[in-house]
Amino acid sequence: MAEPLTSELKRALFGWFYPVKYSIERWAYALQRISGIAVTAYFLAHIVETGNVVGGLSVWSVPSTDLARDVWAATFHFLDNPLFDTGLVVIGFMLAYHTVNGIRLTLTEFGLLQGRPARPDFPYEPKSFTKSQRAIFWLSVLFAAATAVYALNVFFGV
Amino acid sequence: MRESTKMLLHYITGLGIVVAGGVHLFTVFLTGPYLQNLGFSGGGYSVIAIYRNVLLAATLELLLIFVDYHALNGIRVILIEFHQGTRWERGVSWVLAVTGILLLVYGTRTILIANALA
Repeated sequence: MAEPLTSELKRALFGWFYPVKYSIERWAYALQRISGIAVTAYFLAHIVETGNVVGGLSVWSVPSTDLARDVWAATFHFLDNPLFDTGLVVIGFMLAYHTVNGIRLTLTEFGLLQGRPARPDFPYEPKSFTKSQRAIFWLSVLFAAATAVYALNVFFGV
Repeated sequence: MRESTKMLLHYITGLGIVVAGGVHLFTVFLTGPYLQNLGFSGGGYSVIAIYRNVLLAATLELLLIFVDYHALNGIRVILIEFHQGTRWERGVSWVLAVTGILLLVYGTRTILIANALA
């Protein structure tokens, strides 16, 4: 506990964003966290964004429909540009990955797809990360890529 | 609340998001042109048409509750994995709980008012 908080945080963050030289399970973990934070950031922005459907932060009773329509039109106009559209493609990738990998984690939480305990042998691949779990992990990457392609098509008409 | 209860809720809300979020994405992307559906009104699945439909608005409220809990508990898990200690964990939990309640209040306000818009 002698380590100062900032250096502890730095070490923890570095551990996440640099899963090189670790097993694929570690990559799955890092991506799950990164995507979770990204989607949380989107969620916060989305709550603020959709708040403008009724006229924004200062509106706490039913406003005139014209006011609501104008504020929403201005909000949509502000958000409708390639920068935010690119952001949505990334969020789509993250959300799809987080969903399918999250289902894998939910299954393991309840003891499914865990495999049997085994003697650790060279090259010490994690026995808990079974073949079916690997399959779901790659499925989540595939699903995320497909979602990103779909989003590219929706936002940029590629 | 015990840590195991919090994590059980994390998995339950996660599965809830798959369902409620699926409905949400379906109404936005798969019921007609995306730009029409994000218009204020016009068409059966425009922004205001969704909020006026009680069943769909209720689904949005459920989605809000699920994502609110799941996201902030996720941040809590990350932060208490960074650093351990009673003061840190209590502080993190309180700050995130207050943030979660504020988000829930603001989001619920949007849904209720949008549902009542003439």
